Amino acid sequence: MMERYDIHRSIPAILLALLVAATIFYAFVEVGFGEAKVDEEGSVSNRFISNSTQETGSSNFVTAVVVNYRGFDTLGEVTVLFLASAGMGAIVSALPAGDKRKRPIPPSLILTAGTRLVLPLIILFGSYVFVHGHLSPGGGFQGGVIIASGLLLYLVIFPEWKAPHKALALSESLAGLSFAGIGIIGLAVGGIFLDNVISGLGEAGMLVSAGLIPLIYIAIGIKVGAEMTGLVARMKGGDA
Amino acid sequence: MMEELFIALWVIMSILAIAMAIHAVLSRDLIKATILMAGVSLIASFLFVLLRAPDVAMAEASIGSALTAIILVLAIRNTKRFEEGGGEK
Amino acid sequence: MIGIQTIIGMAFISIGLLFQFLGALGLVRLPDVYNRLQAATKSITMGAISIAIGVGVIDLSLLPKALLVVIFLMLTNPLSSHAIARAAYNSGVPLWKGSVVDRYGPALKKLQKRRGRS
Repeated sequence: MMERYDIHRSIPAILLALLVAATIFYAFVEVGFGEAKVDEEGSVSNRFISNSTQETGSSNFVTAVVVNYRGFDTLGEVTVLFLASAGMGAIVSALPAGDKRKRPIPPSLILTAGTRLVLPLIILFGSYVFVHGHLSPGGGFQGGVIIASGLLLYLVIFPEWKAPHKALALSESLAGLSFAGIGIIGLAVGGIFLDNVISGLGEAGMLVSAGLIPLIYIAIGIKVGAEMTGLVARMKGGDA
Repeated sequence: MMEELFIALWVIMSILAIAMAIHAVLSRDLIKATILMAGVSLIASFLFVLLRAPDVAMAEASIGSALTAIILVLAIRNTKRFEEGGGEK
Repeated sequence: MIGIQTIIGMAFISIGLLFQFLGALGLVRLPDVYNRLQAATKSITMGAISIAIGVGVIDLSLLPKALLVVIFLMLTNPLSSHAIARAAYNSGVPLWKGSVVDRYGPALKKLQKRRGRS
């Protein structure tokens, strides 16, 4: 495996990387290591840090910001993800299938049995991450990606398995619809789109404490998981 | 003492990540470059944990080092593994 | 004042660190993919698992989580190393010159012959 470095070819890339690094360094050189950039009494971040737990009931204030205070942005983000995956699916499925002269080696018994054992654990862990998004680090995006990587393992170990694209598309659409529907519930009951209308259930730190936040994160988790699985299954090809 | 240890760990990991990134850019073997890129993501997620941003760390670890790497490997498998040089070899 | 619990936990962590070091050393010094893979696998099964158990013993409230990590590592680490070794063999990475036994090659040939006949 001969591999030769050709420095001249890579000079623009290295220069660009150095430029970006210098810009970032210049922007943050005055901020002390590990300190907040804005540290005033009335700043937005301080308000979120001190008030989010009482206002939303979510112990993890990253989740409170992502799903509650900036919930509309998250809806847009999910839409962008959907558009990206749809565009990539359209491009990939329009391409001719890759050559199949090399038949894949069949998986060994150890791999198939082990995958059957590990896959439910991975899916359980992903669901845990997105259900507990308001209590512990993580959330819908992370949990969805964990589930997708579990299904990806299944896809790699069992090459003849065909991903159920219709079911994936259906669950993705239903999850997206329920996200928008929860927003409309907030609009109808509280007067604000994505308003957290259920509140006061339990104390902060309990699973039910955060009102609509876990429901939204469950919808995002299912949506991201289905989207990523479908995308990689399309990318793998052979079942268009 | 803890502060110095923290900064030393931070510097070592950053240098490792930069070295891996440069190696990935220069490599002609695309599979190798993909694996190095996944390693950079893994180190970045470790640095996020050090900076107490576990949410970002989870996203970086699962997306950067699992999904992106696998998508790139699938793309490489359907095309070519070795980059063809522009100019003399 | 160091309790017996801390001493046991530190002993576990020391064993784990020793195995991690030996694994890293083996990764540098051993001659081919398969030998190196063996060293790396040891550094996870003994090293990481021992460190996790040590942490769980020192702080007993972390013990259930540590045991979960141990179980998950015990499930996945042999799988991944098996997959890597098999992929390396099937894509034609040669064995080291001084290797004395190769049971997988003949078995694979026999399997292919049987599959070709049926």
